[in-house]
Amino acid sequence: MIIKSVEDISTLKKEVEEKKSEISKNTQIIVYGGTCGVASGSKEVLDEINLEIGRRKIADIVILEHSCMGCCYLEPYITIIDRDGTNTMYGYLNNEKVKEIVERHIVRGEIVNDYVIDQNAPFFTHQVKRITALLGKIDPLKIEDYIFYDGYQALAKVLQMDRKEVVEEIKKSGLKGRGGAGFPTGIKWEFASAAKEEQKYIVCNADEGDPGAYMNRAELEGNPHAVLEGMAIAAYAIGANKGYIYVRAEYPLAVETLEIGIAQARKFGLLGKNILEASFDFDIEIFLGSGAFVCGEETALLASLEQKRGNPRPRPPFPAIKGLFGKPTVINNVGTLSNVPLIIQRGAEWWGSIGTDTTKGTKVFSLTGKINNSGLIEVPMGITMGEIVFDIGGGIPDGKKYKAAQLGGPSGGCVPVEHLNVPIDYESLKKINCIMGSGALVVLDEDACMVDTARFFSEFDIDESCGQCLPCRRGLPVMINILEGITQGKGKIEDLNTLNNLAEAVRKTALCALGQTAASPTLSTIQHFREEYEAHIAEKRCPAGVCASLFKTKCQNACPVHQDISAYIALVTEGKIEEAYRVIRQRNPIPIVLGRVCHHPCEGKCERGKLDKQVAIRHIKRFVADYAYENHFEYIPQTKQNVDEKIAIVGSGPAGLSAAYDLAIDGYKVTIFEALPVSGGMLAVGIPDYRLPREILNYEIDQIKKMGVEIKLNTKIENVDDLFKEEFKAVFLAIGAHGESRMNIPGEDLKNVFWGTEFLRNVNLGEKVDIGNKVVVIGGGNSAIDCARVAKRMGADVTILYRREKKDMPAIEEEIEAAEQEEINIECLSVPVEIMGNGRANRVKCVRMELKEFDKSGRRTPYVIKDSEYIIEVDSIIESIGQVPESDYLTNSGIKVRKNKTIIADPKTLATDKEGIFAGGDAFSGALTVSDAVAAGQKAAYSIKRYLKGEPLTPIVERKDPDRYLIPFAPDEESEEKPRVKITEKDIKTRISNFEEIIFNYSKEEVMEEAGRCLRCDTEEVI
Amino acid sequence: MDKISGITEDEITKTDKIINDNGESPDHLVKILQDIQSELGYVPMEAQRMAADRLGVPATRIYGIVSFYNFFRLFPPGRHSVNVCLGTACYVKGAKDVLNEVETEYGVKAGQTTADRRFSLEVVRCLGCCAIGPVITVNGKVYGRMKTAKVKEVLGKYN
Repeated sequence: MIIKSVEDISTLKKEVEEKKSEISKNTQIIVYGGTCGVASGSKEVLDEINLEIGRRKIADIVILEHSCMGCCYLEPYITIIDRDGTNTMYGYLNNEKVKEIVERHIVRGEIVNDYVIDQNAPFFTHQVKRITALLGKIDPLKIEDYIFYDGYQALAKVLQMDRKEVVEEIKKSGLKGRGGAGFPTGIKWEFASAAKEEQKYIVCNADEGDPGAYMNRAELEGNPHAVLEGMAIAAYAIGANKGYIYVRAEYPLAVETLEIGIAQARKFGLLGKNILEASFDFDIEIFLGSGAFVCGEETALLASLEQKRGNPRPRPPFPAIKGLFGKPTVINNVGTLSNVPLIIQRGAEWWGSIGTDTTKGTKVFSLTGKINNSGLIEVPMGITMGEIVFDIGGGIPDGKKYKAAQLGGPSGGCVPVEHLNVPIDYESLKKINCIMGSGALVVLDEDACMVDTARFFSEFDIDESCGQCLPCRRGLPVMINILEGITQGKGKIEDLNTLNNLAEAVRKTALCALGQTAASPTLSTIQHFREEYEAHIAEKRCPAGVCASLFKTKCQNACPVHQDISAYIALVTEGKIEEAYRVIRQRNPIPIVLGRVCHHPCEGKCERGKLDKQVAIRHIKRFVADYAYENHFEYIPQTKQNVDEKIAIVGSGPAGLSAAYDLAIDGYKVTIFEALPVSGGMLAVGIPDYRLPREILNYEIDQIKKMGVEIKLNTKIENVDDLFKEEFKAVFLAIGAHGESRMNIPGEDLKNVFWGTEFLRNVNLGEKVDIGNKVVVIGGGNSAIDCARVAKRMGADVTILYRREKKDMPAIEEEIEAAEQEEINIECLSVPVEIMGNGRANRVKCVRMELKEFDKSGRRTPYVIKDSEYIIEVDSIIESIGQVPESDYLTNSGIKVRKNKTIIADPKTLATDKEGIFAGGDAFSGALTVSDAVAAGQKAAYSIKRYLKGEPLTPIVERKDPDRYLIPFAPDEESEEKPRVKITEKDIKTRISNFEEIIFNYSKEEVMEEAGRCLRCDTEEVI
Repeated sequence: MDKISGITEDEITKTDKIINDNGESPDHLVKILQDIQSELGYVPMEAQRMAADRLGVPATRIYGIVSFYNFFRLFPPGRHSVNVCLGTACYVKGAKDVLNEVETEYGVKAGQTTADRRFSLEVVRCLGCCAIGPVITVNGKVYGRMKTAKVKEVLGKYN
């Protein structure tokens, strides 16, 4: 039929409506396809549904194929609409699940809850769907479906309007180009409209070459007519009668959908001659791009349309004046054009009602990379990056940390964690040197190296450069050479300036947008991640573990102590436990301790994790260390010839012990001064016995003493200068963080309000502490969890109060889990405001918190909810909100400390301002982990040795191990999935009844099996 | 450019037909080259010369186009065409490892064809399936959520 008027459209709409209500008498199953859906198996799901329905001869069922709604992470997924209109969505399907759904939902009429997708999840509710509203809702191959949702009514409306009015309406809306540059669409149209030429063109830019972007593909596959209608309106407004859609040949499904859409529009008279009898002729031709990123640039795109190489040309003249074949041409992006019918139909005012002052409407992003809910999303302008990533995107997979989001792909920049609150609009992004881009939003987690990311984008730009102008052709390769040098540890600190200058020069002088923006990722990463660049350059270290020439294995690279993990694991595999122990002891002074309490960052980077589960590196180390202990096997690295110089270490915690160990190996005479009656620092008085039994700690300390290290207990150093009088040549301050921050609320001074560190210390030293039956612990760190679990073992009923959410707790995840297993109640989003009682505290007044904007750590900031006070009855309270060094007395010796009491020293060398005095561990960094403290001790020892030899202080660069352990390895043909060997733990009841260690050791057979799971990344080059 | 093997009779006939079907018009130059690429799997130098003669455009312009766009190839492909996506989203999810695995397993580098003509391996920049990366395609069929361990399983189906 030929549609000739608005009435015809309404008639058709009515007909479709009737058909639809007829269909709704059946159960409808909608299968969502689209390119990624098909790739994930939507066709197989469709076949299976047909097969199951057919096999059971079920009638009254309609199976519909729609395009993807945007929730690509659920693929394959379907929706079942029952006859009563109930709408159920099922996701992550396969043939088995489909069988079950047909049997239970369709045949028996019950909802299969296991596979149901919650449509009230933030992914759905936090979006504002406008141009993507019909994606997945309509059959994209049926023009009738589009018309049913008021399609082509906007075209009918404009054909009654004056051309100028149409342009005005678009101008009024504030619509800006969605392709990336953000040029006001109405103004572009106005230029072309004013041009006095007979022939004009409208071109739809669907050459979506930006890696990580697929908005246009999804829009074309899901609702092609919105684009066609938008083009027709644009053509009418500027006076064009010919349109081109320049679409990538890599999008075959989009092309096919468009072809069908154009054919249908022609059939209905909505394209062609005398459209709607308004004397308006317009037709559209599809042009397939042959794969050149630069053709996304408008002048290059035009050259390509003219059957030439896609070389850009200088502007002006702008295409709106002199474009395709020299005629005025408007080039708009798919997203821009899809918005046009909405503006016309619902009015510029409605359209501009959402967004920010400067940027109106919505923006479609393809949200990908390291994100839980990846897919196509449409959000109001002004939403923050944090809301996109953490609410809609559901956060980062595998509990990893957000590092940055790359916007605008190879032409864009990154949004680091400290800018999660930046509203998404053109101006705000520009302020942080980022751009909106076409909509590619790739999330990077802690495993991404920003130098490598910059190199990756530069490489892309070089590949795609047309080679026409010098800055781009020659400038980019020079930049990439420098970047590559940095990733290989050959960088110099001056390189960063050179890069900045080069990038600036390319930006100013390149001919087209590709060249001008090619340096953006480099500039942006240098701006936000300078430290990471410097680590590559100064320390030859890639913190993320990506730049392979800078390390042997990812696990070793992640280890603060730089243990040769693959070597000792290989030895364990062969049952050579004593040799493995020797390897461990080369760098690790306290393996028995770290085999138990290390936070094992190595396991977070273990390649095996990509296959099934990471190798249990820490448990393996513990087995080896315990084996040596139990079998009286000792290994003390050979000490060098005695050196006469004496070194004083203040504090016998992990940092002090580790420095002493390294210095003793080199023959220095080390004396450790310890204020407490026991040695070990926090290891002895902070960590409870059930995690680290005292006698094995003492054994390990004795091993260090055997190397000639003297530990003087009960000796507090009041004045550091006195040590130099006693002929010590250098001093290492490793006093730890044994004080506790206070909340500064009323009632903190009441009896039975304990400080976490003090409480643990007293219990560990065997003093009697009366806590009563009902204990509240305040805080979310490791120390708070320790306090809670100790209190539990003392027979109390324990509640932890934490002001944010559980996932934000700084404590190690497995400790939090263990606390919960032990029935410790964790109450989140709660903060005490007053401790009440008469002499003794017996009540705590708390308030509830709500989380709002993101802070610099990437966590949401808690705010008090008004009128939310409530009271908890208590017998005692343990405050553990953050340990601080007790460093005030050091200022008497001229040592500088910060406001938070940490000692000021050079982070690279740990040297303080005062000659010969170094500081490290918790006393310098604030409370960190045991392995960080051990690493700090090593750093201090390295600096002290250089200082005593009169060498300039430098960070540790050459971290190659003394021996390179070449252990033969016969790789399996296939690495099969094989679960981690389970470790046994004591049952909950027994473990909370005493302070005995709760995690058992592997047996020798078990440990060899577990070690055998190692993929031996160290041998990669050998093969 | 000089390493051009002879074009077959069949390929000449097909090229001829494509030029005719597109009205022998230089306005359809890119389309003609695209059709040749789709039909023959590459755009032989001879075919380029034929197009130049018939359409009356300089052979250099045609070579300029063919060497400019990623879509075109100058050499005959293997029996199966393997594309590994190295777009950003796939890259951050480990596409490089997948590519390495294909390269070492089949002894072929990106841009080459295996000695037995079984596979042609290409690197592509974003296929728009970012949500299910890393992605590879074999003869146009998309395989998502790839892992190195899955490479042999997927490619093993193609002989």
